[in-house]
Amino acid sequence: MVDGWWALARSEEVTSAKPINVDLAGQPIVLWRDRGGVARALEDRCPHRRAPLSLGCVLGNGMIQCGYHGWTFDGATGHLKDIPNLKSDTKFPALYRANAFAVAESGGFLRVCLDAKAAPPAPASETLPLSGTVNVALDHEHYIAALFDDPSLVLAMRGVRFTPYLMAELAEREGRLVLERSCQWAGPRWPSPFSSDFPITLRISTDPVTGECDLLLRDDAFNPLLSATLAPVPAARGVTQVRWRAKLATRRPGLMAKWLGAGTPLTVLPAIDGAALRVLKPSASIHAAALREAMTTATPQAGAA
Amino acid sequence: MLDVKDTAVTDDHADPVIGDPRAFAEKVAAWVPHDIVLKDAWFPLAHGFAVTEKPVRRAVYSQPYFLWREGGKAVAAECHPADGLTASKSAYTDAAGRYPVIEKYGYVWCWLGNPANAAPEHLPSLPYLPEDGGLPLHMLGTVRFDCTAPLSLENLIDLTHADFLHADVVGDEKMDKETVEVFHDTESITMVRTCVNKSVAPVMKLFGGVKSDVQQVRQVIRIYLRSHAAIAYGRFSPGDNVQLFHPCVPETRDRTRLDYTMNTSNVKKNNPFRYVMPKASYKVSRQDSSMTSPQSPRYMRPEKRKDLHSPLDEAGQKYRVLMLALAERQARGDFAHRDNVSADCSEIIGYQKP
Repeated sequence: MVDGWWALARSEEVTSAKPINVDLAGQPIVLWRDRGGVARALEDRCPHRRAPLSLGCVLGNGMIQCGYHGWTFDGATGHLKDIPNLKSDTKFPALYRANAFAVAESGGFLRVCLDAKAAPPAPASETLPLSGTVNVALDHEHYIAALFDDPSLVLAMRGVRFTPYLMAELAEREGRLVLERSCQWAGPRWPSPFSSDFPITLRISTDPVTGECDLLLRDDAFNPLLSATLAPVPAARGVTQVRWRAKLATRRPGLMAKWLGAGTPLTVLPAIDGAALRVLKPSASIHAAALREAMTTATPQAGAA
Repeated sequence: MLDVKDTAVTDDHADPVIGDPRAFAEKVAAWVPHDIVLKDAWFPLAHGFAVTEKPVRRAVYSQPYFLWREGGKAVAAECHPADGLTASKSAYTDAAGRYPVIEKYGYVWCWLGNPANAAPEHLPSLPYLPEDGGLPLHMLGTVRFDCTAPLSLENLIDLTHADFLHADVVGDEKMDKETVEVFHDTESITMVRTCVNKSVAPVMKLFGGVKSDVQQVRQVIRIYLRSHAAIAYGRFSPGDNVQLFHPCVPETRDRTRLDYTMNTSNVKKNNPFRYVMPKASYKVSRQDSSMTSPQSPRYMRPEKRKDLHSPLDEAGQKYRVLMLALAERQARGDFAHRDNVSADCSEIIGYQKP
C-alpha cells in the first residue's frame, strides 16, 4: 500500500479555506492547499498531543495550524514552524515535524503516496468534467470484485444493461488488469442469454495496486460513448471511499447512445444491495488475486532484465 | 470488577518529577491514560440537589453507585434498593453494600476503594465553594467529555489550548508575556499561568462590562490527582474573578462526567456575567471534546512514537508523571495518602476569602 498513488480527493474538494480529513485504511491524512494553490498532505495527527490537524486552519502563509495549541506546520516538509504562545523566533529541531506524504495532482484527482520520496505518477491527459464521491459500506477488495463480477451492484449507466457475458476475461494488459463486458441497451430486448451480438461493451482497466479503474463504454463500431475513472480507496472501518470522474462523448451515434446524455449518464451507487451481493457468484474476479500477485512478482524481474 | 488490595505502604518516596530527566521523559512518553485507574479516592458523584429520596445511578470506572437520601442524609449503595443486596457485591462496600459518603461543598462524594481507608481528610479542599453548598442552580451544571478523564485534565492544565480552542470565549493568544509556574506534591499539581496584556475575554467584554482591550490575567489550575477533580481559579484585571470547580468523574475509562460549579456569587447581581459565565461551560466543553474525543483513542495503547513538547507543557508533563507514579504505587499495593489534600489551599491558589 505504501507504494501506491491513491486518489484521496477530487481537486475541487481541496481548498486553502479549510483543511479536510481523508484516510487511507488506518492512516488519517489532512489535505489542504497552500498559498500557491499547491496541494499538501500531512498525517492528520499533531505530533504534540495527537489531535487531528484537520480540525485546525490554514494560515495566510499557507501553513496549517493545529486548532488545539496552535502548533504550525509547513505542508511541504511537515516541519514545525511556530508555537505562537512561545513568542519566540527559535528554530525547531528537525525532529519537530508531522509526517509528510507525497502529493501529485492531475486529471482532477489529488493522489497521495505514503512514501514521501515516491516518484510521481504519469500525469493524466485531461480532467473529466463530471464527478462525485460516495462512501460505500463494503471493503475495498470486495468492492472491486463486485465491479468485476456485476457492475450493476456498484454503478449505473443511463440506459445500459450489463450482461453476465464477457468479451474478454480479466487479464494482464500492459501492467493493468483489463476485462471487457458485453452490455445491452435497456428496454424490450431479446434476453442476453439468447442474444447473438451485443451493441455495446464496457471495458474496465484496473490498477493492480490501488484498484483505480478506467471505464470505457463503447459501441460495436468502437465509438467511445462514456469514459470514466473510478478511484476506490480503502477508508476506515471497512468503508470504501469512491471518487469518480466521467465524460460523455460529444458524438454518440444511435438513439440510445444519445439518450445516455439526457440525464445523469453515470451514477456510482452509495450503497450495495447486500442480498444480491451475497449470492453473486465469483466469475471475472476469480483470478484477480493470482493475476495481481503474478504482476507484482514479475515487475522486479522485468526491471532487472 | 475492580480489585481491592490491602493498603501496603511502600518506602519509595523519591519524587518522580525532580529525579533523573531521562527517567522523567520516559515516564512522559509512557502515558497511556486509558489504563490509569486510581482508587482510595473521593469522587463528587452528584450535586447535592440531584440526590433525593428516589435513587439516582452514577458510575466510577463502571462500578455502580446508587445514591438517595434516607431521612435527609445522602447514602450510596452498590445495588439498587429495589434489587437488594446481590451475591456479586464488591469489596468497595460494607456488609450492607453501602459506600462511604460525605456531603460537602454542595456535592455528594462517594469513596472508591477500601472502605476502611475512607476518611474526611482525603477530601479535596475547595476554598471558594461554601462547605454546606447552597449555591443557586444557575451556577451548577453537568457536561460530558467524550474522552478518558486524565486527558480532560491534561487539557485543562495546559491553558495555551484555551487561546485557540476557546478564543471566542476567553480571548486569543495575543499578549505581551506569558509565564507558567508549576507546583506539586504526591496528591496534587498546581499550575499558575500569568499573562501580561492578554487580549480581553470576549465573554467579559460582551457580558461583564469590561471595556478594555487587554487584561492582566492570573489563572490557576489545581488538580487533585486521585479524585480527578480540579480547581480552575482565574483573576482578571479588569474583570471579575472566575471560580470554577471542575471534577472529572471517570464513569468509564473513555467517558467523563463533569458536574461543575461555577461560583459567580462574587459578581454583582446586576451584572449579566454572573448568570452567563456558568453557562459558558456548555460551549467550552463541546469545544474541548472536539479535540479530546479524537485524542482519546490515540492514547489507549502504548506507542513507540513519543509526543513532542514545548516549554509551555511543563504542567502537563508533570501531571502525566505524577499520575503514573500514583498508579504504579497503587499497583504495588500502596494506597497511602502521603500529602493532605483537605488542607486549605487558598494561599496556594492565591484566593482571598471575602
